[in-house]
Amino acid sequence: MLDGTLLIRRQAVPGWLGASCYAGGLCFGLGLSAILLVSMGISLENLYQEFVVQTFLTSQGLGQTVTATVPLILVGLGMSLAMRVRFWNIGIEGQLWCGAMAATWISIHDVGPEPLRLLLMMLAAMAAGAAWIGIGLALKLFWSVSEVISTLLLGSIAFFWVQHMLFGAWRDTVTGFATSPSFDPAERLVLLGWEQVHSGIWIALAAVVVCTWLTGVSRFGLLAKAIGANPRAARATGLPVIAAVSLFVLGSGALCGLAGAVIAAGTEYRLSQSIGAGYLFSGIVIAFLARANPLAVLAVAFVLGGITTAGGVLKVFYGISEAVVLLVQGLVLLSVLAAQLFADYRLTERKSG
Amino acid sequence: MTQGATRSQTPSGPQKKAGQAPALLLRDIDKAFDGKTALSGASFRLDWGEVHALVGENGAGKSTIMNVATGVYAPDHGEVIVDGRDVPLRSPVDAVAAGIGMVHQHFRLVGRFTVAENVALALGGIGRRIGIGKAAQLVKRKSAELGFALDPEARVERISVAEQQRAEIIKVLLLGAGIMILDEPTAVLTQQEAEALLSMARRLAQAGHAVVLITHKLQEVADHCDRITVMAQGRTVLDAAPMAQTSLAQVTRKAFGEVKEQEPVQPGTLGGELLRLENLRVRHGAVTLDGLNLSLRAGEILGIAGVGGNGQSELVACLNGLLRPLDGKIFLADEDLTAASPAKRRKAGLRVVPADRFDSALVRDMTLSENLALTGLESGRFGPWWGLSRRSMKRNAENSLKEFNVLGGGPETRASVLSGGNAQKVLLARELAAGTRVVVAHSPVRGLDLRSARAVLNLLVASARQGAACLLISEDLDEILRMCGSAAVLNRGRLSPPLSGADLNPARLGELMVGHA
Repeated sequence: MLDGTLLIRRQAVPGWLGASCYAGGLCFGLGLSAILLVSMGISLENLYQEFVVQTFLTSQGLGQTVTATVPLILVGLGMSLAMRVRFWNIGIEGQLWCGAMAATWISIHDVGPEPLRLLLMMLAAMAAGAAWIGIGLALKLFWSVSEVISTLLLGSIAFFWVQHMLFGAWRDTVTGFATSPSFDPAERLVLLGWEQVHSGIWIALAAVVVCTWLTGVSRFGLLAKAIGANPRAARATGLPVIAAVSLFVLGSGALCGLAGAVIAAGTEYRLSQSIGAGYLFSGIVIAFLARANPLAVLAVAFVLGGITTAGGVLKVFYGISEAVVLLVQGLVLLSVLAAQLFADYRLTERKSG
Repeated sequence: MTQGATRSQTPSGPQKKAGQAPALLLRDIDKAFDGKTALSGASFRLDWGEVHALVGENGAGKSTIMNVATGVYAPDHGEVIVDGRDVPLRSPVDAVAAGIGMVHQHFRLVGRFTVAENVALALGGIGRRIGIGKAAQLVKRKSAELGFALDPEARVERISVAEQQRAEIIKVLLLGAGIMILDEPTAVLTQQEAEALLSMARRLAQAGHAVVLITHKLQEVADHCDRITVMAQGRTVLDAAPMAQTSLAQVTRKAFGEVKEQEPVQPGTLGGELLRLENLRVRHGAVTLDGLNLSLRAGEILGIAGVGGNGQSELVACLNGLLRPLDGKIFLADEDLTAASPAKRRKAGLRVVPADRFDSALVRDMTLSENLALTGLESGRFGPWWGLSRRSMKRNAENSLKEFNVLGGGPETRASVLSGGNAQKVLLARELAAGTRVVVAHSPVRGLDLRSARAVLNLLVASARQGAACLLISEDLDEILRMCGSAAVLNRGRLSPPLSGADLNPARLGELMVGHA
């Protein structure tokens, strides 16, 4: 039967079609995930309870979801910025670790006056994240080293550095665990009085606004678009390619570093070995699903925040590995990307004679 | 099908005589791409033993109908009859099996493989696996039959374009092609090489093959073809007319509408020197530019003739600031631009129109208004750095598109939708905007139909009249002779002294183009 059909590439994809293919892929991926979870022994009833009611429809659940969403927004934006200039930031977690370490360093050494401490922590985290991705950026610009390799490996290096600090100089002398001492109250993001939701949410929303302006309103957005779509032409036309790429890539690192500080100062109140796990994968999924659009990042991060919250519950109450969260994310991403085929191409019957 | 019989014959052709069923008959072919009609009721008839010209503007449907014949596209409607049989061509492999072969403009050869390895690879692709040694023997025998030498052990990337073309032709013949389609085969060849190729096409026809020659060069058609088919706007407007009874004027009228032969451009008044190259040396890959000297005055259009691959692209990249010279100087007026960035050169008034307009000049996935605005961003014409003015971008695009007569798209159309000619006009609209002092145009009309080509060349003339200095780098001698008051030849990385007046003639240029300087 397939032998009698043809794929025809569309000259232009109408907006409604792109949207419905996207929605179709999303539903397919979520449906597939549901089947998978049901086959693991969770009833549909419970699935609905955990993934919809307990994550989005109860105050407590929604609060948890929002709290989980905050760092997801930041890493999603980070990945998106780099993607815009075709820089594959596979070192999101590395920058996140560096950001968290920088914030912890400020906290441990009580740098600066107390009222400014939190601000300093955030700024230091951004600088550290940018510096870490800057290594990969410089390697790429000067020696054409693939950023996929360099940022990925730098991610591991950053994690080993964290371990080195936690098992050494920064080990919490009170508990003896391999975590940093807990942050002083002045070094914590303020709780807003609704579950665990903290003022990091304002930071994330501000980042969405800044990124929307950068990519959609400012001159750099257009430059990045040209560079992303045809770097050769951009260079030959005399556009400031290096400056624009650096801006977006360093911005990407800064946002991921900020995510690290927000997690440490907003929910954990210390640096531990577990705060960065999974953010690389989530960042990629969010950026792809949002097509690197900052406002869409906000929405997608919220949904993934819900899945993360539900995943935590599944682990505790149903004995299902937390990896199932990654599985759901992956299924949804693949479905949406695959559904793109139906927007780009038209299926027609092959006529003969 | 016929391939077994075809191959074992000596000298080389299928034993078909005129008067039998046509080699290839395409009848009433419709083909649309997502609603855009490419062919509408088109037909094509090819007989054994002839060289058949296929002529038409770009976008007239020549490539599409040949892609139908070679199984690349399935027609929406119509019949494909090969040698009297209704053959369903579902893929290029089916076409090869039916004995139809095509030599594309861009050869389908693996550069790092030898000629023999390429042949073995292609034969393996249709299920005939042979050893490299056997392939080498076949190549040797075939090239001897065709009357030229080709080393089967030579690596394809190391041999000349003409030799690569021969390798491709031999490969296609060894695949069993009785029907041979040559797509603009002489576009990349020198005059002498082109003559050799066309007489080879004749020998193939005499041996019983059927040869299709897709070309823009009408003189070739008149001198070397038996019959001609002309296409315009997806239809066949002249169907297999015998060449002996067809005048070129008739062909031109059918193919391009009423177009008068263009007069040579009258030189304007020349001003002072604007561009000077001093002893420029560039090395890039296998190509070396060796001590180029050149002086270009305001209002002048200087031609640089020569077969592609002799350093043209490197010269363009060097002028654009993408390639650092090893040695030598580039001056614009008295400003030393040798080490300047592309942006600085642009500011100084040096504008480059590269040959690969969609690769290194325009951005396919951006709209025309965005493409046109790219070079003006820094000036602040389209708003401050913190806020682009989409309105002024759009207005700018509307004006440019109107002034340069760009058809087929508005400010919000994506560049990828435009035809080659209109895309080139968009590029010129951007590059010839205010402040242009020197224009470097590399094959600016390659691939364009006559009408667009003329429009593009006229734009260059107009800009020279307004005092810009223009460097026209082209492989097309007609274009050079018509446009330029003087011209030099780039051959193996060396630039000849400029010819002008009576010295500027095809014979002299041709000599310099093939000479082993």
